[in-house]
This record gives sequence, structure tokens and C-alpha cells, in this order.
Amino acid sequence: MAKKGCFGCSLPLIIGIVVILIVSFLGGPIGSRLVGDIGLPSIFSAARPEPKLPAEVIFRLGWFKITNSIIASWISIAVLVALFYAASRRAKLIPSRLQNMMEMVLEWLVNFCKEVAGEQNGRRFFPVVATIFLFVITNAWIGLLPGFGTITVTGADGEHVELLRAANTDINLPLALALASFILVGYFGAKLTGPGRFLKQYFNFGGFFRGLGQLFRGKPRAGMSMVFTGIIDIFVGMLELLSVLIRIVSFTFRLFGNMTAGEILIFMVIFLAAWVAPIPFYGLELLVGFIQALIFAGLTLVFLTVATATHESEG
Amino acid sequence: MDPETMKMLAVGLAVGLGMLGPGLGIGLIGFSALQALGRNPEARGPIQTNMILSIAFAEAIGIYVLIIAIILALVV
Repeated sequence: MAKKGCFGCSLPLIIGIVVILIVSFLGGPIGSRLVGDIGLPSIFSAARPEPKLPAEVIFRLGWFKITNSIIASWISIAVLVALFYAASRRAKLIPSRLQNMMEMVLEWLVNFCKEVAGEQNGRRFFPVVATIFLFVITNAWIGLLPGFGTITVTGADGEHVELLRAANTDINLPLALALASFILVGYFGAKLTGPGRFLKQYFNFGGFFRGLGQLFRGKPRAGMSMVFTGIIDIFVGMLELLSVLIRIVSFTFRLFGNMTAGEILIFMVIFLAAWVAPIPFYGLELLVGFIQALIFAGLTLVFLTVATATHESEG
Repeated sequence: MDPETMKMLAVGLAVGLGMLGPGLGIGLIGFSALQALGRNPEARGPIQTNMILSIAFAEAIGIYVLIIAIILALVV
């Protein structure tokens, strides 16, 4: 039996891993500049990454371009649908393992929604928040599998492109999710607090016109003060509107930036030392994917809660 | 000074100066969260949740800087 070393695995294994790490470091650009060209087999070096920000087109349906990130998002939809269908088919009171795991995930999400938004609203916002979370995390984690970024085909414009690319790294997907979040916050805000009251947060002309009315009725001092507070109300409303629009930009770039930076980081580390070095960065990418999904869904939930908060409980 | 050198300087400066803010910000958020946890260890759940939320906001600013640097370095 092999002797248990540090890390709990046998000593020859650790020595083998360190040797592969050193050899692949020597095969990369830094190592080969330090030591010179030793003539390592090409399996120990990787090509220099050239990240392209717009997604590459695989084929066109008329005028609509199917890019490699769209194909990746279809794959993640298929994975989610298959997982939940298999877990909920013939659902038993004492659950099987897969059903148990999916129930655990959903129960955690429901508790998260109820904790932030309260009992009734939590149940109401749960589908939106859970969909955003599951879609973003599946896109992020599937993008780490082998095959993403390595299988090449000839694209629509004739050059070699990768068949699959992590869906969150195409800026259109975070933008679409941010717009969906914005529209849903507006919809729930208008539906749950009444459209008039919801719009009054942003277009607050009431005070101003009431002040003008007071002026015309011959009460100058009360009228002027109401006009001034009315003007301030209008400006505050416009700033709130601007902050809601900036929220869309911020959601988009937070998700896109984290995912793209992670992908470029992994490609760079593979370029620098091809074999053992990317392992901790894969762990980092798993963590970042989970946290970004949680942040996107959680911030949507927080803004939904704020937009539907009625102030009856105060005072 | 030719454009290549200027580009390299610009990328380095952008990332270096731009990451000061988020780095300090995240440190301050962690500091206040740990202080609050020390004063009231029972409120660990809400403190942790809100800390993670605030850290994500601060980190997003750093990510904006990183995007500009990537665009400068590789696309321009």
C-alpha cells in the first residue's frame, strides 16, 4: 500500500504532478525564455489566446445569425430541462436521489426569496429569481467543460471558429437578462402597488402643480414653498429614473465582465503553464460562476422587493 | 513616444489605478462586517448575506476597469 504523504495521496503521485507542472512551465513562454529552446514535445505548450469579444457566427437563418454562444445557451437549456424532467417524473413522497437533490436546490431558492421578500411576495417572485439563477449558473459551469472553446468548425464567414463558447461571455445574454429584470421589476411594481403610484415615484409633478395652484389662488408664501419642493421632487424623480436605467448597464457589465475575465484568465494560465497550473483557477471559476448567479438573482429580488414595498407598516 | 508604448502604459495605469478603489472598498466592507460580527455573533446570517451583496457591488467597479483594460490591450 502506498504511503500516505501530505495531502493524503502517495508520494510518487505528488512527485509526478510537480514534474509535469515544471515541464509544462518550461514549455510555456516564461519558461522557454528562461531556459531556451530545449525541444519539448508540443503537447506541453499551448497557443497564445486571442480573445474576441463579439461572438462568432456559425450559420445564418436568413438574416438571423446563430453564434456559438447561442448554441451553448441551447445546450444549457436542454441540460436544465432534462435534469428537472428526470427528477420530477413519477415523483414519490420519499424522494429518489435525483429528485432529492433538485428539491434541495429549489427549497434553498424558495427560502432565499422568502427571507428577502417576505412570505407572500417571496412565493410570487420565486419563478423569476430561480430562473435567472439557474440559467446563469448553468451557463457559467457548463462553459468550463472540455469541448468549450476547443472544437473548431468552419463558420459562416469561412474562417475556423470554435463551435461552443460560454454563453455568459457574449454580451448579448447579460444584456437580455438585465432588460428582462428591468421589465419585470416595472411590471411587478406597477401591478402590486398600482400603476399610478408606481409612476409617481419617477414623475412626481403633483407638488409642483399644486404649488402653482396655490399661487394663483392668492397665497404667495405657501405657494412658493410648495413650488420649490415640487421642483426638488421632479429632480429626485428624474434621478431615480436615471438610476434605474444605470442599473441595466451595471447588471450587464458585472456578469459579462466577471465571466469574460474568468475565461481569459483560464486561457492565459493554460498559455503560461499548460498542465497542472489551471486547476486552482478552475476552482475559482466555479466559485465566481456561483457567486455571480447569486448576485444577479439576488439583486433582482432586492429591487423587486424595494419596488413593491408599500409603506403601510411604517408609522 | 510611439503608440505601442503608450498603449502598454495605458493598460498598466488603467488597471493599477483603477483597482485601488475596489480593493479599498472591499477591505472596508469586510472590516465593518467583522466588527459587526464581533459585537453580535448571533446575527451571523444577515451580516454574511449583506456583506456578500455589498462586496459584489464593489467588485463590479473593478470589473468595469478590467473590461476597459482588456479592450485596450487586445482590441484597440
